[in-house]
Amino acid sequence: MNATIRLDRLLGREVHTANNRRFGRLEEFRAERRGDAWFIIEYVVGTAGLLERLGLGARLILGLERGGGYVVRWDQLDLSNPDRPRLTCSVDDLRRK
Amino acid sequence: MDIVRDVLDTRVVDRNGREMGRVDGIVVDCQPNQPCRLAAIVIGPAALGDRLHPALGQFVRRLEKRFGLDQNRPAQIEFADVDEIETKIRLRLTISDTAVDAVEKRLRAWVGRLPGAR
Amino acid sequence: MRKLFNLTLGVVTSIGGFVEVGSISTSAQAGAEFGFSLLWAVAVATLFLAALAEMAGRLAAVSKRSMAAAVRERFGIHFQIIPLSAELVIDTLLLTAELGGVAIAIKMLTGIGFQWWILPVGLVAWLVLWLGNFSVIEDGIGLLGMVTLSFVVAAWRLHPTAGQVVGGFVPTVPHHDITRYAFMTVSIIGATVSPYLLNFYSSGAIEEKWTEQDLWINRLTAWFGMGFGSTVAMGCLVTAAIVLGPQHVKVETYEQAAQMFVPVYGRWAVTLFALSLGIGCFGAAVEIALNAGYVLGQSLGWTWGIDKKRRDTSRFVAAFSLVLLLAVAIASIGFDPLRVTLISVALTVVIMPLVVLPFLVLMNDEQYVGRHTSGPIGNGLLATITILGALMAMVVIPLEILGG
Repeated sequence: MNATIRLDRLLGREVHTANNRRFGRLEEFRAERRGDAWFIIEYVVGTAGLLERLGLGARLILGLERGGGYVVRWDQLDLSNPDRPRLTCSVDDLRRK
Repeated sequence: MDIVRDVLDTRVVDRNGREMGRVDGIVVDCQPNQPCRLAAIVIGPAALGDRLHPALGQFVRRLEKRFGLDQNRPAQIEFADVDEIETKIRLRLTISDTAVDAVEKRLRAWVGRLPGAR
Repeated sequence: MRKLFNLTLGVVTSIGGFVEVGSISTSAQAGAEFGFSLLWAVAVATLFLAALAEMAGRLAAVSKRSMAAAVRERFGIHFQIIPLSAELVIDTLLLTAELGGVAIAIKMLTGIGFQWWILPVGLVAWLVLWLGNFSVIEDGIGLLGMVTLSFVVAAWRLHPTAGQVVGGFVPTVPHHDITRYAFMTVSIIGATVSPYLLNFYSSGAIEEKWTEQDLWINRLTAWFGMGFGSTVAMGCLVTAAIVLGPQHVKVETYEQAAQMFVPVYGRWAVTLFALSLGIGCFGAAVEIALNAGYVLGQSLGWTWGIDKKRRDTSRFVAAFSLVLLLAVAIASIGFDPLRVTLISVALTVVIMPLVVLPFLVLMNDEQYVGRHTSGPIGNGLLATITILGALMAMVVIPLEILGG
């Protein structure tokens, strides 16, 4: 896939599993410097609800950790259709947030 | 570096510390079998409009074109020109290397004419 | 020593813009209809305002970001667009009401119809912003605003008993008109805890270049400043309670409200009331217009600041100028300032939860407030305000219809 994508438009987009089930939403992109350039090496996908995503949930008020979610490596996410990001692996292969 | 937390919506200043705006958009370049590369930051109301709704972005672009303010806007600034990312983002460029202040300059012509303008 | 002087000045000038069309209307009506029994509402509203202002100031001093800037950076444009748009609409309405308040005050002084004064008042407000800088504007408004102390003096001269006053601070359910009482409570809170005040306060902290060293000044200015300002609102309520209450006057115009000064000030009653109303509203009008510039400039990343050269802040100038122009246009159409005031107050209450919720996050985020995060008291207070705000937001529209 060879594309120029507006990363900010991916924010909040629904991610689907390899068998097209809704999985969560893109909430953060982690970049790492390699040589002269920065690369997106991980995508944080949140499975929690809207309030949690905005950090406004009860968990925050009570001082607990943010809601559920996963860290998806760059090679585990298929962005060939930016409107519909898909996992390339199974959910079990993902790291928890 | 977390893009949403540290880069998106952050203030941008030029080499001399002059305000350039906020990071309204980010462009990545995705090649096969590689992680996406951060290509550019985008500054401008059209980019901000895009984020809220594509129709809004289009509307802003039409407005800018109507007023002759659409050259090189929204400004795309290569990531290579980013010097440091702290509480604000500092570029290696100066503001005049970009078109971010086109609206400001246009309005300045009016504001400067008012009596008592300092 | 200089810091002490500046602090005193800060506290004293907090009066400017605090008592304006919203608080005068609601306090006068509350006193006239329910006597002393809504004093507790003014106190609670002031408590909320002072607590939120202190947080807004702390945020600005430590993170070097105003509220609007912090909300954009922490939550992004998708969240911010909602409170931002709402605030701009409410602020325009409130500005319209303030301009109306000044116009009515001038009418009371000159007899010339209030519609004629809208444009000149708007123009003078614009000139203050065009030519002034932060200290001149703030200190000027504050010192002129001292005329509103006439409410405090009047309340004092009318000798309310300690029992009456203390009783007013204890929340009680009235014997009559419970919906009206509830509506007045909510209106008082909405008139006091204006969202523009919070962003304005944090922007002021940035204009004055506050740092972590100034957090104690922030605390004292927020609490004593708002407290001092609230004595004026309370003075208005008490005076209305003693003078207008027994006459069973339902305050529907500012001319009626001015009657509260007659027993104390005799033939100066209308003049003093008009000056208090006019100056209070003018100060608020200047601040609201300036704040429109602040919110837009900070959210969108423009160069902003009333201390900077106008040429360097053209978009910022355009913003405060356009909002004034819009308010003048709406006001000139002809409207009842009292009605517009009550509508803006109700809308303020509706968006209050959205304004307060970001505080809950920001005040606990070390990236923004460093080690000065809110402790359990601060968070408890914020949670209370949020919940109460949400409850009030749900009932305010029905109450407005039933009790307004």
